[in-house]
Amino acid sequence: MAKIIVVTSGKGGVGKTTSAAAIATGLALRGNKTVVIDFDVGLRNLDLIMGCERRVVYDLVNVIQGEAGLNQALIRDKRVDNLHILPASQTRDKDALNLEGVEKVLDTLSKDFDYILCDSPAGIERGAQLAMYFADEAIVVTNPEVSSVRDSDRILGLLASKTRRAERGEEAIKEHLLVTRYNPARVDSGDMLNLDDIREILAINLIGLIPESEAVLRASNQGVPVTHDADSDAGQAYTDTVARLIGEEVPLRFHLYEKRSLLSRMFGGGRR
Amino acid sequence: MSLNMERGGMAFTFKGGMLPMTVMELTSADPERIRDQLAGKISQSPAFFQHTPVVLNVEKLDEPHLALERICAVCRAHKLLPVAVRGGPDPVKQSAWALGLGWFPPQEAARARPLESVAPVAPVEPEAAEVEVAAPEPTAGAVGGGRIYRGTVRSGQQVTAPSGDLIVIGAVNAGAEVLAAGSVHVYGALRGRALAGIHGDPLAVIFCRELNAELLSVAGNYKRLEDVDPRLLGTAVQVRLQDDQLGIVPLT
Repeated sequence: MAKIIVVTSGKGGVGKTTSAAAIATGLALRGNKTVVIDFDVGLRNLDLIMGCERRVVYDLVNVIQGEAGLNQALIRDKRVDNLHILPASQTRDKDALNLEGVEKVLDTLSKDFDYILCDSPAGIERGAQLAMYFADEAIVVTNPEVSSVRDSDRILGLLASKTRRAERGEEAIKEHLLVTRYNPARVDSGDMLNLDDIREILAINLIGLIPESEAVLRASNQGVPVTHDADSDAGQAYTDTVARLIGEEVPLRFHLYEKRSLLSRMFGGGRR
Repeated sequence: MSLNMERGGMAFTFKGGMLPMTVMELTSADPERIRDQLAGKISQSPAFFQHTPVVLNVEKLDEPHLALERICAVCRAHKLLPVAVRGGPDPVKQSAWALGLGWFPPQEAARARPLESVAPVAPVEPEAAEVEVAAPEPTAGAVGGGRIYRGTVRSGQQVTAPSGDLIVIGAVNAGAEVLAAGSVHVYGALRGRALAGIHGDPLAVIFCRELNAELLSVAGNYKRLEDVDPRLLGTAVQVRLQDDQLGIVPLT
């Protein structure tokens, strides 16, 4: 049985898809059979981040509506053997998804894969609720910013009430906090919330911290998940995150201001 | 499968609920007497009379024809909203329905009570009625009927103790709301909205370990974060009504 992990946040633009792609890649690189599903029907992005947009024929909606088989829609990643992508439809909307259909897809994938990552759309409506409904674990992506923290808090409330585990009264979904776009220099100057404040408000286990990095933007535009960029700070931070996700203890990196000389060169740290 | 998200086409769902309800036990059918007594009450506890829904219990009246319409009008004039009638003979039931009110069958226990025991109490009628309405006040600190919530109350969540105190063992985050008929105790940071004494209990108190509340309210008297002395922010405090004003005092 696969472990189903939803990558969610409430707020848009915080790095859900980037994180889903990077973590899926990291899991597959470590030998786990992994599939990452784009639930953002109508605003399909995951295929771009994964660099497989030219190979999309069928999508999640086609499978749910019985127009294509699951194997026809799954796209095999060109770089990592164990990694598959199930893209979203760009031409439909989120009403095209239904719970029974999603359950069937996840059940089928569960037999073949070790990890299923569900890349949730932003918001708290149907699309986001479908993406989280069957999850065993949740990665809540949060930026060091008050609105993002509040939206994550809202999502954590939904994870505790609007999911199958919650409705059946089963063991609660395991919640992980992933802080992205963290810039220690700007935290130090007070522009950004610091890590301790975020952790205190959300009160869940920290699974990783991804520094604000040029490597992420570059990776997105090239369609290569940043995990492959092993020299970059963000790539290493995602590798650490994956290690923690599968139960290893890895010390936290990239969260301290002493990195300033390097970071300020990379991000033009003088701006305040 | 019981799923909220499958309700796309539904306009509503029926849910059972137990709501706290004030019962106005009538011992006189005379609208004038009711009016006089209500007028006296309003000066004692104005916070209670804020469109509070009430059930008119007419079990103790032995009159087949009640001036129900006039009694309702008197109640509404004093900001009580009659929503239903309990007990009474068939004509009372019919006139309740005609007025758009619900009708409940009489309480078994009350029926069983011998009528003779009611009669001697009659001279002290006003006192008896007083206890019914003001009941929340003397029991302000009671945990009976209260609720303990363990964990963080998150943005968008609402936790209510409809009768009694609410105890939160954890934080109340911004965008969350905690409400109690009695007092609200937060063993953690209070960053959301806290409303104590939601049925008008002026003795209700809000306690928290770390004050950063968006809104504090006791019996309808409220303070926004903006109105709070910044020196008190982040500290352990209690919030109570003092001369119709919300007072925030450090907890030491």
